[in-house]
Amino acid sequence: MVKIKIYSTPFCGYCKMAKDFFDKNGFSYEEVDVSVDEQAAKDMVARTNQMGVPVIEIGDEIVVGFNKEQIEEILAKAGKETS
Amino acid sequence: MYDLIIIGGGPAGVAGGVYAARKKMKTLVITDSFGGQSLVSDSIENWIGTKSISGWDLAKKLEEHLRAQEDIEILEEKATGIAKKEGAFYVQTNSDKEFGAKTILLCTGGRHRKLNVPGEEKFEGKGVVYCSTCDAPLFKGKEVAVIGGGNAGLEAVIDLIPYASKITLIVRSGQVKGDPVTFEEIKKSEKVDVIYNADTTEIMGDILVSGIKYKELETSEEKELPVEGVFVEIGTMPNSDIVKDIVDLDERGSVKIECKTGMSSVPGIWAAGDVSDVLYKQNNIAAGDAVRAVLNIYSYLREKGK
Repeated sequence: MVKIKIYSTPFCGYCKMAKDFFDKNGFSYEEVDVSVDEQAAKDMVARTNQMGVPVIEIGDEIVVGFNKEQIEEILAKAGKETS
Repeated sequence: MYDLIIIGGGPAGVAGGVYAARKKMKTLVITDSFGGQSLVSDSIENWIGTKSISGWDLAKKLEEHLRAQEDIEILEEKATGIAKKEGAFYVQTNSDKEFGAKTILLCTGGRHRKLNVPGEEKFEGKGVVYCSTCDAPLFKGKEVAVIGGGNAGLEAVIDLIPYASKITLIVRSGQVKGDPVTFEEIKKSEKVDVIYNADTTEIMGDILVSGIKYKELETSEEKELPVEGVFVEIGTMPNSDIVKDIVDLDERGSVKIECKTGMSSVPGIWAAGDVSDVLYKQNNIAAGDAVRAVLNIYSYLREKGK
């Protein structure tokens, strides 16, 4: 299954929406709380030039914000490649 | 053909849906998310009957309440257009579906108002922030500016105090408009400076934000402030785009409604909550206004059916 990583903060509603979406659709993911993990926060900004959460890595692709349509597209593509 | 299509899943859309279901109206709710703009709030303390609830938990409760209604249909998509044909209304969605209804209740809420200054769009997510509860932790040890002296601006300052090294609150008028209780709390922090009578004119930077320009309104002098974060909190704009060619809007773009019923300028279309021109944008008001609108829609359909 494609590797998913969510950079989030505790009070971020869109991060929760993203996690909810993956839960509902049966995808597991790793969550990184950038409010406590300062190194991860720096890495996230350095790699994506984004100072906002959620940032979601799906395989090699990066999604900024909870963009459901974009996530669905990437997941569909990833699903086809692995099957 | 539905009796009613409700567009939106915030407190207005959900309250309308619950009442419509109880009246056994054939109803479709179209929304791409639940909870409305409060979704991003870490603690809502004025939702009546609840001392404190997070925006996320309120959203879950609203969704649960709506789904508990028998016979209500919910479509998790975005409504992209409304057309009026032969006395009925047709709502299009982002997947190019179309649904017809005798009446429409528009509960599409509002979105962040933007500054519309050079650099704002370029640096969105790169230092320009519209969700302080989400992104304040990313500004640990950094100097930031908060634009806007209303409640949202003051709350952004509160969110930032534990993280930022210095916070400059930029207020356009001579005083803050937000609640005195919150402002008193802010004044206790040595990290916070307030600049009054100032208009933000530009957001500067290379890849990420490095500063802002603002004009002092009394002297017309333009000044620069080095910051790595700009938190824009200058109010909301109504999400009325899908009806802008159909119903009357006020100068802000809000749907004009008749205050006794909630009906727009077009019979058959009602609006409730932040998308309407009602005074005060509040969860409790949005819910109550949608209830009134649905009860009025019920009477309207019964009159028409006679």
